[in-house]
Amino acid sequence: MTSYSLITLWYERQRYVPGVLAVGFSALLIALQCGLLLGLFSITSIPIDHTQADVWMGAPAVSSVDLGRPIPEGTLARMGALPEIERCEFYLQGFAFWNKPNNGGSELCMVIGSNLSPDSLGKIDKLTPEQCGLLAEEGTVIIDKSDEKKLGVELEKKAEISGYPVRVVSTTRGLPSLAGPYVLCSIATARKCLPVQKDQTPTYVLGRCRNPQDAPKVVKQLNQYKDVLAFTKEEFSLRTRLHWLLRTKAGIALGYAAALGLLVGAVVTSQTLYAATVASLREYAVLRALGIPRWRIAGMVVSESFWIGIIGIALALPATYGLAWAVESCIRVAIVSLPWWLLSSAAAVTLVMALVSGLFALRSLRQIEPAMLLR
Amino acid sequence: MISDSLVMPILQGIHLSRSFGQGETKTTVLYDVSIELFAGQITLLMGPSGSGKSTLLAVLSGLLRPDSGTVMALGHDLWALSDLERERFRLRHCGFIFQGYNLFNALTARQQLEMVVRWGEGASAREARRRAEEMLDLLGLAKKAHLRPSELSGGEKQRVAIGRALIKEPNLCFADEPTSALDWKAGQQVIELLRSAAHDRGAMVLVVAHDARIIEHVDRVIHMEDGRLWQQEESEPVLHTIKQAR
Ligand SMILES: Nc1ncnc2c1ncn2[C@@H]1O[C@H](COP(=O)(O)OP(=O)(O)OP(=O)(O)O)[C@@H](O)[C@H]1O
Ligand SMILES: [Mg+2]
Repeated sequence: MTSYSLITLWYERQRYVPGVLAVGFSALLIALQCGLLLGLFSITSIPIDHTQADVWMGAPAVSSVDLGRPIPEGTLARMGALPEIERCEFYLQGFAFWNKPNNGGSELCMVIGSNLSPDSLGKIDKLTPEQCGLLAEEGTVIIDKSDEKKLGVELEKKAEISGYPVRVVSTTRGLPSLAGPYVLCSIATARKCLPVQKDQTPTYVLGRCRNPQDAPKVVKQLNQYKDVLAFTKEEFSLRTRLHWLLRTKAGIALGYAAALGLLVGAVVTSQTLYAATVASLREYAVLRALGIPRWRIAGMVVSESFWIGIIGIALALPATYGLAWAVESCIRVAIVSLPWWLLSSAAAVTLVMALVSGLFALRSLRQIEPAMLLR
Repeated sequence: MISDSLVMPILQGIHLSRSFGQGETKTTVLYDVSIELFAGQITLLMGPSGSGKSTLLAVLSGLLRPDSGTVMALGHDLWALSDLERERFRLRHCGFIFQGYNLFNALTARQQLEMVVRWGEGASAREARRRAEEMLDLLGLAKKAHLRPSELSGGEKQRVAIGRALIKEPNLCFADEPTSALDWKAGQQVIELLRSAAHDRGAMVLVVAHDARIIEHVDRVIHMEDGRLWQQEESEPVLHTIKQAR
């Protein structure tokens, strides 16, 4: 079946071009949209993805890294007591108001206070050792170059966070933010900037396992206590991105556009196959007269739809990368994220769409009537 | 010696009637037609256009249900079978050739034949290929096996279509105007192939055609007019043929 359908596809390729393009277009649309959204929302999980911790432990019901609340101080010792844990440390994070200099108004920012030693678990990997050295002084912060304008400061300028004076000592590059600009500092500085962090409480306790594969086991043990919620790095990162996807309703827009793309693809593919089958109606009718079972012919149509799907996807793949590259070189930010699981899910969805189109095209087979050959 | 089984018809139509339409527009195409056809014999069915030849062929071959009457084929009451059983019967026993060649544009001559063996009998690719090549050889198309319909002449295409009908080695072979689109030379080749299917393979072959020149190439001629058979040559040539075939 496969060989005959492939031969037919190739020989009558002009006939099948619309179907192949429609499938390709659907796959491209889905992959690129999801990639863009994923890339966009991966900004929200930067504090998780660009640090060294294997395990994150935060307040119960924490649904996104930026929504952490203070947890008891004693939880550090609890994690440290686990044999799988190599070391663990505090991590402070929270939204705060950034008051621009000279009464320039205020802006919501995301303060991140972490250990700054070379083997720190919570320090964002964009910070150089020199920058960490600068942050050791209390009241110093580092922001991203791209946020300078938004925060109304430049290097060595002073501002206030929650009324506490801070000084920008350096800037990073390529640390984009979605909700509020990231403000990186030491734990001591962060405690001053975040009034909710009373006394010695952390927002998260970060842990590193002797063997990273033990992380799920550690998480399970930590979650026996109800006053905290622990995740592996990967879990928490995904949870954060999904939370943002749902919170911003972008997921709905995405689903809607993807469904539309799929629908268009399905209709075009189905019509292409339908027309192709109808064009061969007399040939199929001979086969039916000869007693070839109907399912063989149906199998041929569905197999054609399968190959249309495969070819369309094969064309869409380089196009997706090409367009992603074009977008990124246009806005100069790496914003499209195309992990293999996203590409293969997009391919799978598109392939299913192609097969469903093939099934819909089967209605043409009802027109096969061997007696028509005698007229 | 002629055994009883040899003179028993392999295909028999008994009191067949068929009409199309209803009420005012109802036209009767077959009026109480009875016919006996024999294995090893090629029969020509002739008659003016619209006389019901194709309709009779369709009824006899299990493609079109008669309004009344019986078709007995190899001991089966063809129209008493279920649709699926009739389909199986056609698969096992019937070959068809039509005026249009009805070949798949994308497939080569060999693939057209292989397809029937592979899909009909579930034969392996190798087995299908062997049989297709054997059949094309027989049709004088060995050198054209790799050509597609667009690269074949009309006569060659019709021979491929014959190959497709015969590769299953059917007991019953039906051809509706197989030569109409061909010149006499190509038509003659086609008739000879059908004739050898009857004589060498012992198949029953029923041919509908217009060309009177075919008459001398067949064993038996049946005329049809206005839905009735009006001259059925007596059984003598039947016996004659069977003796020949022996
Ligand atoms: N499906 C149908 N519906 C209505 N009328 C039909 C149908 N099929 C055949 N007929 C009529 O039945 C009559 C006989 O048709 P048939 O095709 O059997 O003739 P034929 O002898 O094969 O003619 P020809 O030599 O032109 O092929 C014609 O008048 C035709 O109009
Ligand atoms: Mg006819």
